Formats: sequence, C-alpha cells, structure tokens
Amino acid sequence: MSAVNEPLTEFERNARVVLEQSLSRIDGRTRSRLNQARHAALEAAGAPRTAWWRSLTRMPTVGAAAAALLVAVVLWHRQPAGEPQVLEAQHAAEDMDLLADSEALELLDGWDGPFYEWAAAQTDNVQSDG
Amino acid sequence: MSEFATLASPYSMPAALHGDVDLTDPEAQTRSRALNQFLAGVELKAFKMAQAALRHEDDALDAVQDAMLQLARAYGGRPAQEWKPLFYRILENRIRDMQRRRTVRGRVIAWLPFRGDEDDEESDPIAQAPSPEPQPPRRLELEQAMGALEKALGELPRRQQQAFLLRTLEGLDVAQTAAAMGCSEGSVKTHYFRALQALRAKLGELHL
Repeated sequence: MSAVNEPLTEFERNARVVLEQSLSRIDGRTRSRLNQARHAALEAAGAPRTAWWRSLTRMPTVGAAAAALLVAVVLWHRQPAGEPQVLEAQHAAEDMDLLADSEALELLDGWDGPFYEWAAAQTDNVQSDG
Repeated sequence: MSEFATLASPYSMPAALHGDVDLTDPEAQTRSRALNQFLAGVELKAFKMAQAALRHEDDALDAVQDAMLQLARAYGGRPAQEWKPLFYRILENRIRDMQRRRTVRGRVIAWLPFRGDEDDEESDPIAQAPSPEPQPPRRLELEQAMGALEKALGELPRRQQQAFLLRTLEGLDVAQTAAAMGCSEGSVKTHYFRALQALRAKLGELHL
C-alpha cells in the first residue's frame, strides 16, 4: 500500500489520470447547471439574511395574538348552556327599539286591555279547578 | 483529526460571518471572488463524486448545488483553506440524506399497488447512439479504463469510495480527508487501503 501521504503508486497515478479525463467528458448541460448553481450560491451568500435573533423582535406580536386566541377559546368554553348572554343583550336592545319606535306605539291604539285581563283570569281559574 | 472535523453550526457564529456580506466592502468582494474561484475549482470533481455515490445525474447536481449554497451561506466567512474539507463534508451529508430519502421512497413505492414510471427519463436515441467519429486508440483505451474504473468504484462500499475519490481525484491529505469524512485519520487509511485492494483485484494494475 502507498500510505496516504506517501508518493502515489503507478495504479494510483493511472487512476488519477483516468478520473481527471472523466471530468473533461462531463457534458455542457451539466457544466452549465453547475455554473448556475455556483452563481446562485454566491448570490445567496451576498444577500442580507435575517439573523436568528432578529426573529425575537416579533415575539411580542406573536405572544399577544396567542394570548387573545387563548382568551377567546376559554370564554367560548365557559359560556353557560342556557341562552347566551349575547342573545339576552340583543333582546334587551330590541325591546328598547320597540319602545323608541313611534310606529310600534301606534299598534297599541287598538289595545283591548280588559279582554286580555279576563282571558288570563279564565286560564288561572281552569288551572286551579283542575 | 484536524480542526476541520468539527463543523460549527452556522447559528453559533456571528452574523457577519454567515451571510450578511456587504458587497460594497472591498474585503467582501475579494472574499466573494475567492469563493467563486474555489467553487469553480471543485464543482466538477464534486459532481463526479456525487454521481458515483448516487448514480443519478440530477440528484448529483442537486447535492452539489446544496453543498455550494450551504458552504457559501454558512462558512463563506471561514478561512479559505478550510473550505475544501468543509465543502466535502457538507456534500457527503447531503449525499447521505438523499440516499436515505431514496431508500424510504423505494419502500413506500414498493407498497403502492399502481406505481408508474414517471420518474424514468425517456432515453434520447441521439444521445444513446455511438459517435460516428473513429476513436484514436489512446482515447479508446482511456475510455475503456474510465468505464471499468467507474464501474468498480460504483461497487465499492461508500466509505471506501469516498476515501479513494477524495484522495485520488481531489488530492486531499489524510487530515483533510478525515475532516471531510468525519472520521479519524486511522479510519481514512483503512478505508483507502481497502479501496485500493478491491480496485486492484478488479482492474489489475490499470495500465494506460
């Protein structure tokens, strides 16, 4: 064996000649693609790249968004099974609208109060008799 | 083992050393030119080594391209004499990744009921045709030796193939070869010796 750092044997020298010759047989398309790859690598090396620590500056924004999402999820799961509070608030707003609406008050012109009081009393009597 | 053997993570280096290159700076321009010269000097040999390992031209090109990119981005700021072992170390890692991926893909495809041959490139009859030019005897001899050597190299275990090519084709010394292969100098000698033995057994003395 020729030790790795000793002079090459004839076999090694011939192998080197053969291998170097094989390099000259590499076709133009491959050479062109290697050339393009080299230029792309050099361009990428020259382009400013965001250092890892710069991404830390985005942490507050990301953290705030995550916290907001967490709060939304917790509220969603803690909502009572009955009518949602949002709907109750919506009904109250509709009542206020009715009271404020002058057209709705006009509907009350034909209000037969005694009849409804009598009907309610009849219903109560039937229930107490039964 | 030399100092080349340990590859620091690019993120453990200061930003100025791994990418933030100001090309208006004359020093950066000099470095860029040196890197260009270095890559131009190794690209064909690297392609040959990747092709011997992967036996696929496009995969070999991809591996070399990735290695160039990583060297330029992560280690372009290192001293130029460190580039060669670093570059071949990166290339070797890339080749290994591709071989692993190919093995996994092969296993998956073997399970598929309908597997097409989309990946197989259509053979170009013009490219396959023998050259009509008469070949001078010397050239013919070289081509025969080239074919035999490439075939024998392809049959070597990967580490032996790598040690042989880094030493014979790229001309790295033991320490640089060990750094590129990520092993001890003793292992390099063993792999190289076994590669030589195997090649001699197959090719004889390779007289030219």
